[in-house]
Amino acid sequence: MNALDVDIRLVRGAFRLKAKFHVPGDGITVVFGPSGSGKSSLLSAIAGLVECKGYVRLGRTMLSDSAVDLHMPPDERGIGVVFQDARLFPHLTVRQNRAFAFKRAPADRRRDIEDVARFFDITPLLDRSVGNLSGGEKSRVALARALVAAPDFLLLDEPFAALDGMRRRAFIQVLLDMHKRFALPMLVVTHSIDDAAALASHLVALRDGEVAATGPFDQATREPGFAALLDSRDCGAAASGILLHSGADSGQRYLWLRADHIVLATKRPVAISARNILEGEVMSVQTEQDGSCLVELATSVGVILSRVTGEAVAELELAEGKRAWALVKVHALQA
Amino acid sequence: MLSAAEAQILSTSFSVASLALLWSLPVAIACAFLLARQFPGKFLLDGLVHLPIILPPVLTGFLLLLLFGRNGPIGHWLEQVAGIHLAFTRKGAALATAVMIFPMLVRASRIAFEALDPRLLDAAAVLRAGPWDRFFSIALPLAGPGILAGAVTAFAAGMGEFGAVITFAANIPGQTQTLPLAIYAVLQQPGGESEALRLAGLSFTLAMSGLIGAEFLQRWMTRRLKG
Repeated sequence: MNALDVDIRLVRGAFRLKAKFHVPGDGITVVFGPSGSGKSSLLSAIAGLVECKGYVRLGRTMLSDSAVDLHMPPDERGIGVVFQDARLFPHLTVRQNRAFAFKRAPADRRRDIEDVARFFDITPLLDRSVGNLSGGEKSRVALARALVAAPDFLLLDEPFAALDGMRRRAFIQVLLDMHKRFALPMLVVTHSIDDAAALASHLVALRDGEVAATGPFDQATREPGFAALLDSRDCGAAASGILLHSGADSGQRYLWLRADHIVLATKRPVAISARNILEGEVMSVQTEQDGSCLVELATSVGVILSRVTGEAVAELELAEGKRAWALVKVHALQA
Repeated sequence: MLSAAEAQILSTSFSVASLALLWSLPVAIACAFLLARQFPGKFLLDGLVHLPIILPPVLTGFLLLLLFGRNGPIGHWLEQVAGIHLAFTRKGAALATAVMIFPMLVRASRIAFEALDPRLLDAAAVLRAGPWDRFFSIALPLAGPGILAGAVTAFAAGMGEFGAVITFAANIPGQTQTLPLAIYAVLQQPGGESEALRLAGLSFTLAMSGLIGAEFLQRWMTRRLKG
């Protein structure tokens, strides 16, 4: 499969990007970071839209290597991009936008375009002009167009930024299904930890133009550099999505459990409305600056975090090795 | 309606302006596309493009004579290689007109290219479209209405070029005598005012239809483009 290896340096005005990481050729890798951390610049560099120092390698092919002055132009890289603003061609209809990609795809790798159209549910839109599509429709057409070009690797720059709530979750589901169906390695940029957890098998976390943490999602999110990226109320941990009862079969790989949303008990609770009661063992108790305590608990769905008060820690005698039960409301899983 | 002589003058004007547009437009589009982006020495090209506006038209005609006349370096070469005479011929009138309308064409095309969202070209690039492909399939169609409107205006203006044309191609009825040159010729004769007035009216009507036509064409194409 086509793994992606990146080691680049890029200067744009006062902003510096310095990133070295490996992206496996299967699965979905999420590039996570606050705005201004260099996520979009990183994507542009990988796609070849801006020149950078260092190298980018896809599988065995060097796409760029400043050491030998190699800079493959974007149209030869075989890397597709779905932009935040869709960027459909305004002088073409939806059908013509799709044909634009199809005509330029390598003949031996062309996909069944009707099949792709059905998959993204854009068949009824084909003869519309792109000017009067809704935000969600534009995103789906952009995805279909990118897929029809038959790239070896697909980059997605916050493709759901324009969508809200329900539509956003539906779109994430489309991405997950698409990944399963078309077996295309993907790199998805987002600044939302919930979106990241829903999609990611692998993580590249960026902060101020540098890689703060990288690796398999559940491990990378436990690296010390990662917690510093999060807003304090987003502080939490990745839990396996398959093992949690989330009210619907989401197919999501992970769910982000916020420490603020987890209640701890030292005896198995009975007669309670929480759907998820996870038994585990306390791994550590850390006192935060504001006096609250973060309790790390090893459970069957992974290591999770719970924020409790100092009094609660004393009262429940929470300490390393202690047995405890974590209570998670289904509601908390649908951020 | 029109006398035989007037019809001939009109046809000369049309053929000179058409030929001029045909030669000038492709070069102007290329120049405009270059000027819509940054590159070293841009100001030089920018200055060169605007030269025909700044120079007196007679001087432009004279420079053309020096370059493209029988003894000029390019004119001599053209005669040797292809047997083409430019000075004092209809093709010469078209060349002088082409040079004069060139800045107008570049300006209209450049504005159209600058209004183009460069991110669409990036989007085309990651769909495997190379640089030429992007130019012809994205940039040119999207800039089309602006370029076409500029071309219609330039065509109308081209039918009225005087100084450079008369200097380089002279005033030969049936050959190089376009509308303004004919007006000039009849004014030189005693009692030619009424004929001059008729030709002036013709010239004015054509120029106005050109301007109005350009405006409507641009609106219609833009509407079609945006759906």
